[in-house]
Amino acid sequence: MTNQESIWKRLIVSRSLSIFVVFIVLIVLFTVFSPQGRFLDPENLKVLLAYGSEFSIIALGAGFLMVTGEFDLSVGSILVFCSFAFLKFFGLHLNLFVVLALTIGVGALLGLLNAMITVKGQIPSFVATLGTMMLWRGLTLWFSGGEQQACDVSSSPAFVSFLNGNLGNFFPIQAMWFIVFGIILGVILHLTRLGNWIYSTGDNADAARAMGIRTDIVKMLSFMVVGILCAFVAGIQISRVSCFTARTGEGWELKAVAACVVGGTSLRGGIGNMSGIFLGAFTISMIENGLVVLRIPYFWTYVVFGLVIIFSVLSSMYIERQKWAQK
Amino acid sequence: MEYENRQNDDIVRMVNIEKWFGRVYALRGVDFHLKRGETVGLLGDNGAGKSTLIKILSGYHVADKGDIYFDGKKVVIRSPRDARRLGIETVYQEQALAPNLSISRNIFMGREPVKGFGIMDKKLMDEESMQALQNLGLRLRSPDLPVVTLSGGERQGVAIARAIHFKAKCVILDEPTVALSVKEVNEVLEFIREIQREGISSIFITHNLYHVYEIAERFVVMARGKKMTDVLKEDVTLDDLSELVIKSALVE
Ligand SMILES: Nc1ncnc2c1ncn2[C@@H]1O[C@H](COP(=O)(O)OP(=O)(O)OP(=O)(O)O)[C@@H](O)[C@H]1O
Ligand SMILES: [Mg+2]
Repeated sequence: MTNQESIWKRLIVSRSLSIFVVFIVLIVLFTVFSPQGRFLDPENLKVLLAYGSEFSIIALGAGFLMVTGEFDLSVGSILVFCSFAFLKFFGLHLNLFVVLALTIGVGALLGLLNAMITVKGQIPSFVATLGTMMLWRGLTLWFSGGEQQACDVSSSPAFVSFLNGNLGNFFPIQAMWFIVFGIILGVILHLTRLGNWIYSTGDNADAARAMGIRTDIVKMLSFMVVGILCAFVAGIQISRVSCFTARTGEGWELKAVAACVVGGTSLRGGIGNMSGIFLGAFTISMIENGLVVLRIPYFWTYVVFGLVIIFSVLSSMYIERQKWAQK
Repeated sequence: MEYENRQNDDIVRMVNIEKWFGRVYALRGVDFHLKRGETVGLLGDNGAGKSTLIKILSGYHVADKGDIYFDGKKVVIRSPRDARRLGIETVYQEQALAPNLSISRNIFMGREPVKGFGIMDKKLMDEESMQALQNLGLRLRSPDLPVVTLSGGERQGVAIARAIHFKAKCVILDEPTVALSVKEVNEVLEFIREIQREGISSIFITHNLYHVYEIAERFVVMARGKKMTDVLKEDVTLDDLSELVIKSALVE
């Protein structure tokens, strides 16, 4: 077999292939059908990269966690709670980077709490995080009165350009963060021993435990990664809109699951890779943006999400079968 | 004391082990020992307590009463980690491997060599995995194959290669031949002989007396949480052994 053939074969049998196809097809469709090809207009790409990356970063964390076999349905609520925490820390007139660090601490704690309920309480994370999803959203609504509240961070240009600036003239820094987090999580997952523990935990927790892996700690760390990313995104959002919004992140939990699943991550854990999750996250953000550009009514978003999910899951199952048949 | 005199020969000695699962009295004061380099067949009817006994040794369960001596020293085994640190490795049917992970990731699971910053040394893992499998007589195409793509016999080979590679002192085989084809069973029995040749002690649990009679040097028969018989192979024929197992299950 020539080398080229083997690369091709590897691509064919990769679970990320279906998401890659979906991704390309959507770009073509959006470009062709948007008025004057506006989808590829630099202004729109800027919006997509800046705004879409907020969700995409969180989806990376959700995918990372899903590889351990756990869910986090509370991502949107952690996000809004962290936004509120940011607002409160901001009110203390601290340095904004300190405010961000404290907010990240809150996010990590909320992640840890999800982990504790799941791991120590031995409750499925689906249920545990369904609980915390309602809890944090509800508490935030209560504390904030559900009102928008100004949080003007423009006094610190360094902070704004750290989270809401551009690289060069064009490239939104949010997209850079998305890529940076994607690379960091990808390296952890694929190259480090922690990564092997994560896969082992998701694939066969009994075996992992028998081999001396502390699966509870692995899960705790992964839940905390999700919390930290949500907190970071809370910072990004506030620096973009300069206010706290009580409805932020609503519906993100299922979109995040969708991003992971179309990216080839198994709901049962143990299967998935960062490039797939990355593309899946980006694709979900892109669908929302593309449909807006096409001036298609918002409810169609869900129709497209639905079709994309079903198509990519069916095709990755098909690919999987081919893969075993070839071996 | 009798135990101390024999201590030097024994790699494992479990004394008066008791275990309750709620109201189930699973182990009722079991004594068990395993000599260096010895292979013991652990036999008995379903629910006799075989798995429970070895799971206490492998750190999966903690005994309610009783002591464990390993390599002459009294030890406390609270987790699989503790057991593994002592050199106790377990090969369960379908349980000890992560099916979607590659062969080399499985062999090094939990003990991955690193190059720094926690980055795994994949090249080393791949080479050593292939070498360990080859030592067992298993030639697999690539260390990157996920374990699901292997036959049942090959999977047991991976688990056993792992135990040998990490210089286990005691390998526990809990029904390693269950659900395998005749050819695969023979492969696995050959792997167990390799464990013996390496001088590693092992405990072999099975319901198939033919398999165990060929390989083990001593047989321990359990029934309803108690040890009923402890005989050397030279003192029993295969027929005697089968009768012992059946009778033990019937005795009240
Ligand atoms: N985790 C557990 N919780 C409750 N009861 C258990 C547990 N594990 C084992 N038991 C009970 O303890 C007793 C001994 O079980 P064990 O699995 O040790 O038997 P075994 O000899 O390995 O049987 P088999 O040959 O069927 O594997 C049985 O009555 C079983 O139901
Ligand atoms: Mg058993």
